[in-house]
Amino acid sequence: MKRIVKWVALAVVVLGVCGFTAFLYFVPPLMSTAPEEFINGEAAMAPAVDGIADPALRAIAERGRYVLLTTECTGCHVTPGPQGPMPDMYLAGGRQFVTNTHGTVVSRNLTPDPETGLARRTDEDVKRVLRSGVFPDGRPISHTAMPWAQFSNWSDEDLHAVVVYLRHIKPVRHEIPPPAPGVASEIEPGAFEVVSGTDAGKK
Amino acid sequence: MPPVPSGSRWIAFSAVSLLLLAVAAGVAQSPAEAPPADVKQLYDRSCASCHGTDGRGHGPAADALNPKPRDFTRGTYKFRTTASGSLPADEDLYRAVANGLPGTSMLGWKGLLSEPQMHALVAYVKQFSPRFATERPTPVVVTTAVPPSPASVERGRAAYESLACGACHGNAGSGADAVAGGLQDDWGHESFAPNLTEPWAFRGGRTATDIYVRLKTGINGTPMPSFADTAKDGDLWDVANYVVSLARKPVWEMNADELKAHYARQVDADAASPVQRGRSLVATMACGHCHTPADSEGRALPGLNFAGGVKFRLVVWGDVVSANLTSDNETGLGRYSDADIKQAFTHGIKRDGSRMLPFPMGWPAYAHLTPQDQDAIVAYLRTIPPVKNQIPPPVRPGVFAYLASKFQMLIGGKDFPIVIFAGNAGSAGTPAGGQAAVVR
Repeated sequence: MKRIVKWVALAVVVLGVCGFTAFLYFVPPLMSTAPEEFINGEAAMAPAVDGIADPALRAIAERGRYVLLTTECTGCHVTPGPQGPMPDMYLAGGRQFVTNTHGTVVSRNLTPDPETGLARRTDEDVKRVLRSGVFPDGRPISHTAMPWAQFSNWSDEDLHAVVVYLRHIKPVRHEIPPPAPGVASEIEPGAFEVVSGTDAGKK
Repeated sequence: MPPVPSGSRWIAFSAVSLLLLAVAAGVAQSPAEAPPADVKQLYDRSCASCHGTDGRGHGPAADALNPKPRDFTRGTYKFRTTASGSLPADEDLYRAVANGLPGTSMLGWKGLLSEPQMHALVAYVKQFSPRFATERPTPVVVTTAVPPSPASVERGRAAYESLACGACHGNAGSGADAVAGGLQDDWGHESFAPNLTEPWAFRGGRTATDIYVRLKTGINGTPMPSFADTAKDGDLWDVANYVVSLARKPVWEMNADELKAHYARQVDADAASPVQRGRSLVATMACGHCHTPADSEGRALPGLNFAGGVKFRLVVWGDVVSANLTSDNETGLGRYSDADIKQAFTHGIKRDGSRMLPFPMGWPAYAHLTPQDQDAIVAYLRTIPPVKNQIPPPVRPGVFAYLASKFQMLIGGKDFPIVIFAGNAGSAGTPAGGQAAVVR
């Protein structure tokens, strides 16, 4: 009798583990979340422009928010955390890309933080990056890690709106390391880019 | 003041000597002397990602740019002070390098590069074309300006009509009612007549003199002709004054009410031309960044625009390949309904009902596009010429490989990166020769 109980208990445990494994494999966590949850999460990260006192600036920033949100700048510029993007680090950067052409680069901090963010840069500097892929020191930017060539198609007015919006998001202190050598195809044969999910920045 | 120790004096002396030497070296590099020895290196670093190391205007980043980067090998330059068909003057090239071309990706290098470096680049760029060895630029004569006045603007309006400027630029200059369509430049790229009400994006400058010079020189390589022989000189000044008068306010000068009206007008204009709006959205949302396969330098593979085939390795999740967005019936979106396409890019649900991960495709963000913009994207995607490129379905790792990596991730905290591969994983394969296959 006791032996039967033992065997049944063992069978239940084994079946339970197999069942859980099968559940994990066939209904993985991200796939069982409703699309609306991701969609709402994306919009919740992008701060509203209500706080901007000047109505003209607010109208332009609203346009900038629309352009920036629908272009999914968060895909690369939000700080990656263990559970996905960190919502309180909106556009604070830190995702690392090993490219074939420009070494190892880390997505920059786009918040208006005075020491580590865009407050150090003029509007012209920011626009030059988005239009021409050139940093304020003349250094060229990888067009594969950062699709600036695509963003160069924004009209001057939309480009301006994006910059105005970036000036009004929450500043986050997050230091981004400078580029370093490193080639993607050395990490994985045939690869031209390897995108890390760990924050490479310093808080 | 304490006495200066003799050691410090020697240090000061050496410092001054070093400074003098540095100044002398700087003088030796002035434009009158030989250009910097590293000009090729400078060009390759600063210019080649768009213009290519070979100067053919097809660097790795060139494909996404509009207008396309200049091909230096033909010696055909758009913004000159020289006659139609003529080579540009050195000052014309210098102006483009130093000040950039407004409204394009060509930035002004002044402040980023030194004067000798910029002059050296002008000389370096010229040697790509043999024309500079045998021909001389012919400058156009700039006559005395006709001062802007209501009468001159009115005469300019009449001349604008009689010279049929509106065929390409529209009757009011905004291009809205232009009759000429499908314009192409000499390189076979689509050519768009600029909106004359937005002078901040005039490549050649926005003053009356700039516009007069454009009318006189034409824009080589494009459908914009020179009017030097076909119009009276005074008329050209009047047209220039008229074009200056067409300028509207840019958003950065508008007040709140003007902005509201402006953005509402823009929505109406977008509704009237959905394909154009869709083209702009697809370009700026960087759809081609993942849906056009690239070589190991990130240069788009020829003939595979929007044909998908970029392979992403998402450890734990397996391999996924970007979809073919062309209008091909068998392998592209040809048989997809509008609703199918929108559901895919806004909710990550494919036509067969299966779900996509919320990355690498950012559908949670694209869901925030207005319904009108979503329709515009569909309208544009329908116009992309079909390319046959069968995309393999996602491949998931086996149960044990999955569990092993999941375990490493959850318990060991291991970060599995997303690996993006060069080449086309679709049935069309990677065209042999890559960049060499493109004749420009």
